[in-house]
Amino acid sequence: MSKIALIVASERLDKLFPAVTLATTAAISGWEAELFFTFWGLLALKKGYEPSEVSLDYQAYQDLLKEALASGSMPGWRTVLEQGIATGRVKIYACSSSLGMFGLTADDLEEYVDSVAGAATFLGKAKDAEVTLFVS
Amino acid sequence: MKPDVTVDATYQSCPGPLLALADAVSRAQPGQVVKLRATDPAAPSDVREWSAGTGHKLLEITRDGDIYEMYIEVSG
Repeated sequence: MSKIALIVASERLDKLFPAVTLATTAAISGWEAELFFTFWGLLALKKGYEPSEVSLDYQAYQDLLKEALASGSMPGWRTVLEQGIATGRVKIYACSSSLGMFGLTADDLEEYVDSVAGAATFLGKAKDAEVTLFVS
Repeated sequence: MKPDVTVDATYQSCPGPLLALADAVSRAQPGQVVKLRATDPAAPSDVREWSAGTGHKLLEITRDGDIYEMYIEVSG
């Protein structure tokens, strides 16, 4: 089985979209997907988190993305992620040190988070991945 | 070709059409034909790649103006 490993280091809409699109597309294609949310990316795993902003560099284009979401031409990032999770082949890891930095605990995170993990755990999951990307 | 299931993903951009197709295929029975309608210009190549990877059979792609229709036979 092919595998994709992603490090997600931003909670902004424009970063979450490519991450979950690749992960879910991989999963529905029969691949495994391992996602490690670290630094600001960890904030995207907080219960009920809904990103409202794109990255600062691209704020001028923010309305285009919001219009695409509102019209339904682009599915919401959480909808995409949940379809991937439903395959059972998307695994979500929360960076333990980022969790500590934000003063959060595992109880603050979405139910679909598989575990709190460190760098060595992610490396172990990612070492046999054919595709590895850092999204930030 | 008469499909068993038709999925309309017109005016949805990537990954919408493929997600809609995968969902319909997962609900269909082996041997059934799912028709996907899409306007995303990436849909034909994405569906071709997805079918090759998952083993579902891409039977035909037709195009009428901006609308692509792709017929996929669900594998067993």
